[in-house]
Amino acid sequence: MTDGPLIVQSDKTLLLEVDHADSDACRRAIAPFAELERAPEHVHTYRLTPLGLWNARAAGHDAERVVAVLLEFSRYPVPHSLLVDVAETMARYGRLQLVSHPTHGLVLHALDRAVLEEVLRSRKTAGLVGTRLDDDDVVVHASERGNLKQVLLKLGWPVEDLAGYVDGEAHPISLDEDGWSLRPYQEQAVDNFFHGGSGVVVLPCGAGKTLVGAGAMARSGTTTLILVTNTVSARQWRDELLRRTTLTEDEIGEYSGTRKEVRPVTIATYQVLTTRRKGVYTHLELLDARDWGLILYDEVHLLPAPIFRMTADLQARRRLGLTATLVREDGREDEVFSLIGPKRFDAPWKDIEAQGYIAPADCVEVRLTLPERDRLTYATAEPEDKYRLAASAAGKNRVVEQLVAQHPDDQVLVIGQYLDQLQLLSDQLDAPLITGETTIRERERLFAAFRTGEVNRLVVSKVANFSVDLPEATVAIQVSGSFGSRQEEAQRLGRIMRPKADGRTAHFYAVVARDTVDQEFAAHRQRFLAEQGYAYRIVDAEDLTTA
Amino acid sequence: MATYTQALRERGEIGLATLLTLRPDLATPPPATLRSLAARSSTRASLDRALGELDALSLQLVEAALALHHPGSTASPARAADPGTLARAVGLTEAEAGPALARAADLALLWQDGETPGHHPAPGLAEALGPFPAGLGPWLSTTLARRSEDGLARLASALDLPTTSLDGLVEHVGDAATVTALLAGGPPGVRQVLDALTWGPPVGRSPEPASAGVTSAARAAVEWLLRHGLLSIQDPQHVVLPREVALVLREGRTHRSPATAPEPAGTPIDPRTVDAESAQHAEEAVRLVAGLVTLWGEEPATVLRSGGLGTRELRRVASRLDVDDTTAALVVEVAGSTGLVVEDGEEPPSLAPTAAGEEWLREPVPQRWQEVAEGWLTAERAAWLVGTRDEKGARRAALDPESRRPWAPRLRTTALEVVAQHPGAALSAAQVHQVLAWRAPRSAPPEHAVEAVLAEATTLGVLGAGALSPAGRALLGLGSQTDDAAARGAAPQVPATHEPTASAPAEALAAQLPPAVEEVLLQGDLTGIVPGRPSPSLGALLDLAAQVESRGAGLTVRFTPDSVRRALDAGRTAEELLAELSRHARAGVPQPLEYLVLDAARRHGQVRVGMASSYLRSDDPGLLAGLVEDRSLAGLGLLRLAPTVIAAQATPAALVSALRARGLAPVTEDQSGAVLVAGPRRHVVRGVRGRGRVPAARSGAAAERGATTAEEARERRLRRLVDDLLRGAAREEADGAGVEGAGLLGGPDAEGTPDPVIALALLREAATEGREVWLELVGPGGTIQRRRVRPVRVDGGRVRAVDAEREAELTVAVHRIATVTPA
Repeated sequence: MTDGPLIVQSDKTLLLEVDHADSDACRRAIAPFAELERAPEHVHTYRLTPLGLWNARAAGHDAERVVAVLLEFSRYPVPHSLLVDVAETMARYGRLQLVSHPTHGLVLHALDRAVLEEVLRSRKTAGLVGTRLDDDDVVVHASERGNLKQVLLKLGWPVEDLAGYVDGEAHPISLDEDGWSLRPYQEQAVDNFFHGGSGVVVLPCGAGKTLVGAGAMARSGTTTLILVTNTVSARQWRDELLRRTTLTEDEIGEYSGTRKEVRPVTIATYQVLTTRRKGVYTHLELLDARDWGLILYDEVHLLPAPIFRMTADLQARRRLGLTATLVREDGREDEVFSLIGPKRFDAPWKDIEAQGYIAPADCVEVRLTLPERDRLTYATAEPEDKYRLAASAAGKNRVVEQLVAQHPDDQVLVIGQYLDQLQLLSDQLDAPLITGETTIRERERLFAAFRTGEVNRLVVSKVANFSVDLPEATVAIQVSGSFGSRQEEAQRLGRIMRPKADGRTAHFYAVVARDTVDQEFAAHRQRFLAEQGYAYRIVDAEDLTTA
Repeated sequence: MATYTQALRERGEIGLATLLTLRPDLATPPPATLRSLAARSSTRASLDRALGELDALSLQLVEAALALHHPGSTASPARAADPGTLARAVGLTEAEAGPALARAADLALLWQDGETPGHHPAPGLAEALGPFPAGLGPWLSTTLARRSEDGLARLASALDLPTTSLDGLVEHVGDAATVTALLAGGPPGVRQVLDALTWGPPVGRSPEPASAGVTSAARAAVEWLLRHGLLSIQDPQHVVLPREVALVLREGRTHRSPATAPEPAGTPIDPRTVDAESAQHAEEAVRLVAGLVTLWGEEPATVLRSGGLGTRELRRVASRLDVDDTTAALVVEVAGSTGLVVEDGEEPPSLAPTAAGEEWLREPVPQRWQEVAEGWLTAERAAWLVGTRDEKGARRAALDPESRRPWAPRLRTTALEVVAQHPGAALSAAQVHQVLAWRAPRSAPPEHAVEAVLAEATTLGVLGAGALSPAGRALLGLGSQTDDAAARGAAPQVPATHEPTASAPAEALAAQLPPAVEEVLLQGDLTGIVPGRPSPSLGALLDLAAQVESRGAGLTVRFTPDSVRRALDAGRTAEELLAELSRHARAGVPQPLEYLVLDAARRHGQVRVGMASSYLRSDDPGLLAGLVEDRSLAGLGLLRLAPTVIAAQATPAALVSALRARGLAPVTEDQSGAVLVAGPRRHVVRGVRGRGRVPAARSGAAAERGATTAEEARERRLRRLVDDLLRGAAREEADGAGVEGAGLLGGPDAEGTPDPVIALALLREAATEGREVWLELVGPGGTIQRRRVRPVRVDGGRVRAVDAEREAELTVAVHRIATVTPA
């Protein structure tokens, strides 16, 4: 028995004691094959999943290595069945290969004939494969490469994709590292991605995902299609690329509702790609408009279903997904993995914070006891109205005022879900309001004013959840949200996590009505961040003045 | 020439003692004479039991001895094969076959007559091993004897033989040279026919007779073989290959190859892994059984009418213990076998902990495990049958009285012993089964049973990672493994000279358990992690106040409002809980957890529930205050809930009359608060209606439902009546069973006297050896007829015998035979 930092449970969770002297070495050793599930202050929980083990195989780790790592770091004897399971699971990867055949094109090649027979007999592969060439080879329709990979993964026989990538149209791009350089973890993320071919990089908000994208573009040196969530975000990408790379304005095009430019680097919104006229995706040709060498998906956790389907056709092109939280409330993480690619880089938020690359954040849940009258209204309300009633309780406005008053020198964002509630807050705080109805121009103006400090209070709806770069925001007050969405909570915290010039701590407040569904949803929303080590303090609204 | 009985006598004291030790069924009840010992040892049941003890090689040799044993005829005596021939027949040298032959001889399945070295098969073996030993058909002397005189003559002419005598033909056709020569000149297709029959079964379906003059090649081949005596007709549809011919084709072998003992190569397992995993499982098993005992202590489980635990109750156990149904069934079965839970004998019966079970809960884990493991090891129960369907298609319930299997303990011991012989290695169920099948092919357990038993052993921690744990070794009484000790190195080890004591398994387990951890790491996401095996006090605390997320080498728990509420329900205050947690938490209790506990405590008890039989309300608080203080009303159990409301323990009627006695004028009100006008008492009417509606067969539980104060007495009466009825029925049933039982035991038992058994044994012996006996037969009119015959076959209550004098064959029902005397 060693005195290792790791406890291997038979249910395939790995418990890593953070304060242990070997914990860093252990983390590095298990990261390639274990999924980080939660990373609170003392013990991080990793999980061994088939997907994680297969990704490790894809990245060149074999079962012996995995077993050796577990044995080396484990404090107690490792359950035998788990070791057997690891070996068996990993042995399933690569029995089938996708290869490029000189005459037949894309071919599914079997190293294990029985497996090929099994998968060909499955109804799920029907239509994805063509003629059988011989016992071990079968032609695959090039357009079904993604679908086939996904189906084989579901069947438990993940295919090793050796068919490679098209190079795409070359277009020199390099980073303009003037007075700055990629941070070590960004470099590593770019390396991991490029080495793996395609995949997803998970970094906290504010940790510089755009730069990882820029780094990948520079490494690829090809034309690039960037897919983003909205127009504001598209503009921010453009600005950032202009500032950080050698790209000029003429080389970057915007393909959105208002402009339809196709340039060597084109930034398009998900919305425009998924626009349909008479059942036809009218802007699909953008995907073929150029011989793209790299396709970049921003906020990959929000990727809409039609984009998934389109992505299935793009398997020959390098794909990079960027996200802060690979938590999809619809549970389609697996599709992200099989269509965009496996997770290539992931780091606990707290680690990046400890390195000073994102601002330390203090998360506080303020619990407000509803007045008697509101409690009665709430108790007798219809179930579907309960959340709205609790979340937009009038008492919250006073709490927000108190909180704002506590931060006179900070740039404060007030974020909420319900427009009438936000309107009231905007009036009460005398702060501008940005909602979905605000024009793009007006939004940009207000954001710019906020960045310069001209405006230091901003009330925003969920339009500001993502990809709005407000580096100087240091306080966010959340009054209501989309029910129990964990990733929304993380994104909102992300708004204030850009490192501050003076190194000050960011404050994230969630105002919650006690003993209501609001409180339950809040508990659920906080789970992701709590698992990332952001423990919420809970403060009673009555105690705020003293706190 | 010697007989089986004589051979038994010649074994001498030691030989007989060995026999009686190896075949204990022969010794109980003690046989009166050697003859009756011989008779008993050649009964089908005893032979089957003895054959069940044989390993695969000995069994081959016994088969060979039987197959090569020529029963002889009036002309020639029985010929027994000598050891060399037997060894060659299975493909071994005489020396190699020696021990296996000796074993068969020790079991008296083979015997020697002292004059020749040949091994005779024990009488009755032919019946026990079936008609075609080693896949060999009947002797030529039998097959040719079925042919008519003309048939024999045709055969002789086909073979170009001068003689037509049976013996001559038998000798000629059975000769290897003849067979080889004949086959060399046979038509095509002959070889294929013979190949199909050579290694058995020796019987083949005759090809359809030629129709419309077309003769198939196969038909032609078969006809040619029949014509030359190389095949015989078995019955109108089948042909059979005579034994001599088959033996020539097999080159004298009875078996293609000698059975060899399997040497399973287990997967090597680190002994530390075995220790850790088995200890974990052992602890978990104890925890689950304890959970069951506690659960049923709180709410006993109802028993099915047919006995055992219904599916719904089993599911309840599974969900409460958070395990699958199979594990739940094992836990229930083990708790039952260990005597921790039992049917309470009430009406209706339910399952509840015994006093021993309650006591068991207080013992330390290793002792508790030992009791449970011993209970399992010796249980004649097949827990793996739970959930499967019986012959009638009904699901077998846990603790089903029908799932008793007397062989289960032996199966467990033998299977575990096989594993024990491979220290430091894990064997699969298939490998263990292979070894068991080699050791006793005729009584090998089904593989699924072996698999189930090994799975149970794993769940209980007797096995760890597929290898026997030290505690498991102690449980089997094997002492510690020296190899293990060497491999284990510095780990604490029981000295090799240590005498196994009654508590050895518990001690071994205690040595296996990793040191307990007193510390829990509490985190901001409301989880807690014990980095090892929690100490009893810490484990109990977390079980009470948190929800377990993952068990194993460490323990992960999550605190939820519900789990904290549970702790508060159990009587802890928030402060006590936080104090206990912080005593175990090195890094302190994080603020969110502290808040959670305090918040749960704030809400705990916000609403209170109590019991009252009636209430009293008035708009005059002063009046009510006076009533509560009044000593004369103390017996009513008055409690002031609010200034204008008092709850009472007395019934409304009692309350009303007590208040009236005190000079007040109370009125009663109904559930909606409306004043009730006093009317005629209605409980008499209710009583009559109630009696009419409760059927006599209704159980006590049904009668208990909805009891109100006014009805209680009536219900008690009813329940007594139902009880009396049920008890009477049970008594009648018991009496009835007694009468039937007496009939079985005391009734005339024609087969019960020893004579027919001995008579049958004599007949079998004579049949095997081809000797003659005197029979006294009871004729239809009660006349006794004495005949000298050579028995051929004893089977199915009939004896087929040849009367040499009258040249006739006769078949006699066994019950007509009065005496048998060797001729």
